[in-house]
Amino acid sequence: MVRNSKLKQSKLDVRREQWLSRGAVKNKKWNEEDNRLDSVVIKTRKDDDLSSEKINMREIGEENDRSVHHHSDYSDSPSNSPPSLGSSILGGNDSGPHFTGSSSSSSCRSSSSGCRSGSITEEEEEEEGDDDCLDDWEAIADALAATDKQHDQCSESSPRGNVISQLDSCGDRRNELGVGDGDSSVERGRIVQRASMNCRAWRPDDAFRPQSLPTLSKQLSLPTTDRRFGCGGVSWACGGVIPVPTSCPICFEDLDLTDSSFLPCFCGFRLCLFCHKRILEEDGRCPGCRKPYDRDPADNETNVLAGSPTLPLARSCSMISRS
Amino acid sequence: MQASRARLFKEYKEVQREKVADPDIQLVCDDSNIFKWTALIKGPSETPFEGGVFQLAFAVPEQYPLQPPQVRFLTKIFHPNVHFKTGEICLDILKNAWSPAWTLQSVCRAIIALMAHPEPDSPLNCDSGNLLRSGDARGYQSMARMYTRLAAMPKKG
Repeated sequence: MVRNSKLKQSKLDVRREQWLSRGAVKNKKWNEEDNRLDSVVIKTRKDDDLSSEKINMREIGEENDRSVHHHSDYSDSPSNSPPSLGSSILGGNDSGPHFTGSSSSSSCRSSSSGCRSGSITEEEEEEEGDDDCLDDWEAIADALAATDKQHDQCSESSPRGNVISQLDSCGDRRNELGVGDGDSSVERGRIVQRASMNCRAWRPDDAFRPQSLPTLSKQLSLPTTDRRFGCGGVSWACGGVIPVPTSCPICFEDLDLTDSSFLPCFCGFRLCLFCHKRILEEDGRCPGCRKPYDRDPADNETNVLAGSPTLPLARSCSMISRS
Repeated sequence: MQASRARLFKEYKEVQREKVADPDIQLVCDDSNIFKWTALIKGPSETPFEGGVFQLAFAVPEQYPLQPPQVRFLTKIFHPNVHFKTGEICLDILKNAWSPAWTLQSVCRAIIALMAHPEPDSPLNCDSGNLLRSGDARGYQSMARMYTRLAAMPKKG
């Protein structure tokens, strides 16, 4: 009995460690992981306790491999008790403070086992942040699509109410996903979203809908674009998805704030204002895509509307200066 | 300080840093003049230039990077797009397709790519171009290999 309890204790320790590391490692594929987890649970339930214990004991030595962590985690949980599985998922999928806590503890672990460096955990944290943005973004996209559909159905509805409630529901949905397990949570999320369609701030034929609510076309685009920019800002801060060069690729000088918000060409090639001016004086083509720059952004808008009278002019200018 | 000079200094630092990253290219700046560079490039593998080391001379204009650098082969090379006598290179990015986003390093890479994929339809070396255009790839390769051995490989003994 004593030996048995010892084994259990060590198993618990291992599981704790694995869970902590998993909390830090946990990434964008958590949904998949959960699905996988379900299947593993089904499989390992058929195995008897002893064999899975053996596997665990063997794997304690191989702490270096992360995949091993995952695997042993899955096979471990059912052998202990099914309810603990739910709790571990709950912890693993919880956001924010949990991650910082777990990653810090895992970095502590690195001092003892020496297999994980601090930089790796930092990167993971960053990824985590990015994922949050991405999740958010996707959720917003979902919400937008949903509102679009509704907009077709009932043109008099109040989209602001829609969008807000949808966004809220997206938040709910993520929480739901976090608590729930695997496949069912996805469905639950859908149900929640569907339900939220009915709990709009105002129904289309609602007499109490304020007349002061702005009109549709603007409304549909405004909140989402704002949110999108916000997300982009966050992800840049996280040092992630959209690469913004820190220095001008032409003069190699550092980009300052004005420069880094300066986007002269649709192709997305960034450069500093000095170089842009010099290029305009000389050749007038974007270094990224070699298309001619528009001379003046203010003119540009009128150009688009009025069939661009100055664009060919710009081209001929550049020809003259080149020859 | 001139923009071109500043940029070349930055590129020089970058080259020092990247030296390990690209073993096929060795860019060296002239000791006294930052507008003069030489590069040593290795002939790409599985081409008749394999095993050869080719020397390039860069003359960087004052308007660099708005104007492309002038590059020519100092080592003799039998290639449709390189003038056999002067070493002049016919490469679009060194002429009208130049972009200030290119660097001396990336120009070297482009030249290595050109060595591996000649454009016989705009030849500077008509003999070489004609061999390829008439479908005599074997003749072209043996000629190019011969000149690589004669000019671009270290002399034995």
